[in-house]
Amino acid sequence: MDCYTANWNPLGDSAFYRKYELYSMDWDLKEELRDCLVAAAPYGGPIALLRNPWRKEKAASVRPVLDIYSASGVPLASLLWKSGPVVSLGWSAEEELLCVQEDGAVLVYGLHGDFRRHFSMGNEVLQNRVLDARIFHTEFGSGVAILTGAHRFTLSANVGDLKLRRMPEVPGLQSAPSCWTTLCQDRVAHILLAVGPDLYLLDHAACSAVIPPGLAPGVSSFLQMAVSFTYRHLALFTDTGYIWMGTASLKEKLCEFNCNIRAPPKQMVWCSRPRSKERAVVVAWERRLMVVGDAPESIQFVLDEDSYLVPELDGVRIFSRSTHEFLHEVPAASEEIFKIASMAPGALLLEAQKEYEKESQKADEYLREIQELGQLTQAVQQCIEAAGHEHQPEMQKSLLRAASFGKCFLDRFPPDSFVRMCQDLRVLNAVRDYHIGIPLTYSQYKQLTIQVLLDRLVLRRLYPLAIQICEYLRLPEVQGVSRILAHWACYKVQQKDVSDEDVARAINQKLGDTPGVSYSDIAARAYGCGRTELAIKLLEYEPRSGEQVPLLLKMKRSKLALSKAIESGDTDLVFTVLLHLKNELNRGDFFMTLRNQPMALSLYRQFCKHQELETLKDLYNQDDNHQELGSFHIRASYAAEERIEGRVAALQTAADAFYKAKNEFAAKATEDQMRLLRLQRRLEDELGGQFLDLSLHDTVTTLILGGHNKRAEQLARDFRIPDKRLWWLKLTALADLEDWEELEKFSKSKKSPIGYLPFVEICMKQHNKYEAKKYASRVGPEQKVKALLLVGDVAQAADVAIEHRNEAELSLVLSHCTGATDGATADKIQRARAQAQKK
Amino acid sequence: MAFPHRPDAPELPDFSMLKRLARDQLIYLLEQLPGKKDLFIEADLMSPLDRIANVSILKQHEVDKLYKVENKPALSSSEQLCFLVRPRIKNMRYIANLVNADKLAGRTRKYKVIFSPQKFYACEMVLEEEGIYGDVSCDEWAFSLLPLDVDLLSMELPEFFRDYFLEGDQRWINTVAQALHLLSTLYGSFPNCYGIGRCAKMSYELWRKLEEEEDGETKGRRPEIGHIFLLDRDMDFVTALCSQVVYEGLVDDTFRIKCGSVDFGPEVTSSDKSLKVLLNAEDKVFNEIRNEHFSNVFGFLSQKARNLQAQYDRRRGMDIKQMKNFVSQELKGLKQEHRLLSLHIGACESIMKKKTKQDFQELIKTEHALLEGFSIRESTSYIEEHIDRQVSPIESLRLMCLLSITENTDKAAGKITDAFSSLAKRSNFRAISKKLNLIPRVDGEYDLKVPRDMAYVFSGAYVPLSCRIIEQVLERRSWQGLDEVVRLLNCSEFAFTDMIKDDKASSESLRLILVVFLGGCTFSEISALRFLGREKGYRFIFLTTAVTNSARLMEAMSEVKA
Repeated sequence: MDCYTANWNPLGDSAFYRKYELYSMDWDLKEELRDCLVAAAPYGGPIALLRNPWRKEKAASVRPVLDIYSASGVPLASLLWKSGPVVSLGWSAEEELLCVQEDGAVLVYGLHGDFRRHFSMGNEVLQNRVLDARIFHTEFGSGVAILTGAHRFTLSANVGDLKLRRMPEVPGLQSAPSCWTTLCQDRVAHILLAVGPDLYLLDHAACSAVIPPGLAPGVSSFLQMAVSFTYRHLALFTDTGYIWMGTASLKEKLCEFNCNIRAPPKQMVWCSRPRSKERAVVVAWERRLMVVGDAPESIQFVLDEDSYLVPELDGVRIFSRSTHEFLHEVPAASEEIFKIASMAPGALLLEAQKEYEKESQKADEYLREIQELGQLTQAVQQCIEAAGHEHQPEMQKSLLRAASFGKCFLDRFPPDSFVRMCQDLRVLNAVRDYHIGIPLTYSQYKQLTIQVLLDRLVLRRLYPLAIQICEYLRLPEVQGVSRILAHWACYKVQQKDVSDEDVARAINQKLGDTPGVSYSDIAARAYGCGRTELAIKLLEYEPRSGEQVPLLLKMKRSKLALSKAIESGDTDLVFTVLLHLKNELNRGDFFMTLRNQPMALSLYRQFCKHQELETLKDLYNQDDNHQELGSFHIRASYAAEERIEGRVAALQTAADAFYKAKNEFAAKATEDQMRLLRLQRRLEDELGGQFLDLSLHDTVTTLILGGHNKRAEQLARDFRIPDKRLWWLKLTALADLEDWEELEKFSKSKKSPIGYLPFVEICMKQHNKYEAKKYASRVGPEQKVKALLLVGDVAQAADVAIEHRNEAELSLVLSHCTGATDGATADKIQRARAQAQKK
Repeated sequence: MAFPHRPDAPELPDFSMLKRLARDQLIYLLEQLPGKKDLFIEADLMSPLDRIANVSILKQHEVDKLYKVENKPALSSSEQLCFLVRPRIKNMRYIANLVNADKLAGRTRKYKVIFSPQKFYACEMVLEEEGIYGDVSCDEWAFSLLPLDVDLLSMELPEFFRDYFLEGDQRWINTVAQALHLLSTLYGSFPNCYGIGRCAKMSYELWRKLEEEEDGETKGRRPEIGHIFLLDRDMDFVTALCSQVVYEGLVDDTFRIKCGSVDFGPEVTSSDKSLKVLLNAEDKVFNEIRNEHFSNVFGFLSQKARNLQAQYDRRRGMDIKQMKNFVSQELKGLKQEHRLLSLHIGACESIMKKKTKQDFQELIKTEHALLEGFSIRESTSYIEEHIDRQVSPIESLRLMCLLSITENTDKAAGKITDAFSSLAKRSNFRAISKKLNLIPRVDGEYDLKVPRDMAYVFSGAYVPLSCRIIEQVLERRSWQGLDEVVRLLNCSEFAFTDMIKDDKASSESLRLILVVFLGGCTFSEISALRFLGREKGYRFIFLTTAVTNSARLMEAMSEVKA
């Protein structure tokens, strides 16, 4: 512990910078880094190296090789570069490797060297070639900026949603700028470039010259520029060995430094941490590394070998052939605790805890000291915070132990910050492990979020670790374990050397019914890899049949899709499949498919009834469904046809169909209707008036009402109208005409098959009591009482009822007796009743 | 009279929440089209809409003019048109014509189609075929449950019956499942489920699937309703085909209750105006007579009138203070009651007039004979005469259907009623009737004033089959022992019981039963089950695709010329 601050280097009065080793690299690099194109992704991301990038020979042995390593130097992929010459490499925010070729094509590779896609930076580039390119990150994603041979800039702020923007020309620019960078202000990407002593800012509209405030005189050229991780600050390195540091808006100078080295630096990057007031840049030359800030002196390191700087949110990573280091400003909490002779509460607490372990009473003294100042809470917090910034687990542990010790003496210290830090550190230590190789700091981890970290683990195919982390942090299944398993399954289906059965089984065994896992997504991936059979097998595990349908359709398994859609009970889905099938199959096959699926068939029929009547007919034809075909033509005879001939013809077709369906009743009825139609037409021609579309009954009635009794009789005979019906018909019609004479004649034509009560009723309906009475006398004995009551002859009705000795009739008459007039009758009935009871 | 509920009868859940939900959603949808707009409403949706959001609410959300969707061009001058329609192809054509006419005239407006209760792919396809899919925006108003009364929820989907049972179109099943899902979300899951019929089974399974997909949110809820019973209309056509003689059913048969309200014409109101009257439990007079056999209603009403008079008369002996009290507190109520009383008396008179004219007694007698299977010959000749006299084709058809099902004959009746016989398959009505004792043995007069079983809704002649099935299953808490009945109903595959183990159900909730009628139910059935509930201390809640009666059933099956 004595030498804990040994690697702390003061910069000015207020800040310390430290550099510590993350990994020792054993990636066995044969080349020097300077001979390679290098790209390292931020947030402890992977490193890509393109060896021999500048060789143009075609020979395979000297073709460029693209290698991808983890931050710890574990090889992830290696491939021979077979495309054109590469100008620049860079990683996107999704950890995809973008390789910008000289011809303006950008090839996108995955972390494992799998080719993803490519896009072009525009036609202009093809001719002028790409001189230089930068990949940069903004809040919208990753962008590409290129400088063409014609000294023009083109950029795309988001490669995920490619929109190329050609920047305006820099007036009088004859040669390439000495240095340039992309800035991002107000959500728009700009380009800052240096030409000789001048600086120009390009936005999408104009090119403007800018002058950094307070720039020392005598500058004839800018050699290097660096913009900070968050685009807030800018540093300029001039040919006089002078460094200007200010805001990226070029409105304010923060500080300046003269390093007196005129050689152009290899790299210059910002090294600052969020929420710190200190600003510093790290400048690297071949053998020298310098940290400069707002201080008269700089910190200097010697570089033993060729190194490469990777700017991070809170520091700089430096890797070379043998080591990978991290350089950052010592965080406030750590500084407080570990600064030599610090009396900060955290420092005292750490001491107290150490003494306590030694069973020394000094522990009590220290503790008392903190408590007297009332700073115990602060002390605990400091220890927790400092633990987060420590790289070595031993150090983390001792700080956490101190925090835990201090917590014992506090009444109500909320435990979550302590617990969360323990969890976070455990996760961080796990991913920092050499085999995983993601050297995230605590601040980076918090910025990245656990979800993105999990995504990155999944991207590296580190499924077990990702799942362990989810389980350890108790993330909800849908966000955590299920999601990872689904990713795993999507990877699994790409293993071409494993049989479909084995893959499907393996996936099902792992995934089971885990909530939130969509088997259809996995199946879609399998289909994407050309494994249709596997996809179908996987779909079998999908519990929601509705989810299976779209993919099955895509795979042209339409019939299977149809039965799945039907299973789902979702008629819309069925309908979607139906339309698909309709386009895909020829008509005959389509109908055959429908035939086996009654639910789909009736759905389609419903649709056809409204939209495609002809198809409906074809459907019935196909099925030899003569009954429905008959009905179809009947409907057509009413709806489609206007002319009588057409209607009759349609009915004839219907009748034929009904015969085929062995529905003689319907066939006969249809034929009758045809006859009736023809006849009505003739009647209209001969007699005038409206006959068409009347029922037979109404036709006859109309004839009688029109006085065409003969014709009516004829029609009744022709169509064999039953006697009873004809009598009712005539009775009603004649009464309507109030042709009482004819009615009487009719009633006497023969014995009425419907009796004479209807005559009475109908006369009374027309309020003709006189006529009614005529028929009342002829009503048969069973209905006599009713008839007499109808005509209002209560007394006689009573007599008949008494004669019949019918109790029901008696009460019926009684109910018709009104007090005043029928008193005598009522008495009579009562007497008769009494008599009947006596017997 | 008007039997009170048993003191231990459970409280009904509050279904007004469904109205609020529907209203809020509609308002949200209207607000999606900001600014003034004209609203085109499909005729069938007008009454339900009126129960959810009246004109002033619509106006508040910038609906300017209201139009009915009908077969003639609308003369709206608004820049924004909103259509509120059922997902039907003919509506799509109407909209397409309107939009295409605008296009021809070089006019651009905003169009929004709100489908209720959901949109169908076929509709969108028609819009696409007509070339206007890109011109309109489509939305769904998931309004599928309208509380018509405290214990009656209607989906207001009369076409469900024809679409499913006649055309075999299963599109509405999803809607049913969604509605059930909504209920279980709001009122807790149903611990006991029973069902019979193919449609019931499919709806149930689809509903279960929906529940499974949902996260465990609702599972913790305490169930408010202990049982759910799903029943296909084609289990029992007989009951629905009978003439109704319970007051509410009779009012429906005579005046047609539409969406819980009825238009009483001048003959009822004894003025020159028609009056739209809401018929539900809030109408105190109606509430007391709705479930009564018609023969009791008149007596009850006159008794009520006398009581009312007596209450009015009380004021004679009053001093000023009492009078003031009377006027401020009681008079309004009495007047209201008076108004309702005179309306229902008017309705009764009107019913009496109509029913005696057509020889109602004869008709009822024939129906009972058909139900009991007696004197078939007389019944047949009655039907014949009915046709000969050309009373009403729908009525004649109804009687023939009744004959066909009860007699299971495949003779002339069956052939004429082709549509119907294809539905009824093989009817075993007689056997079922015997097995379930649907025709009560009567010793002496059946006292309709003090009913002893559910048969009272048909003058003591017949216990509604549907209600008897429900009674039997609830008694057994399963279909056990009813195998023979299920077989006779041709439903062996589709009868199910599902007990979800749930100890949280309170004894009170276990006496609440939701009965779902797929394809419609009649007021007689509702009355019968209300009676059963009172006898057994249950309370029934009814969910139906629509309230139906014999006439609606027959009309649904006849082809209407488009």
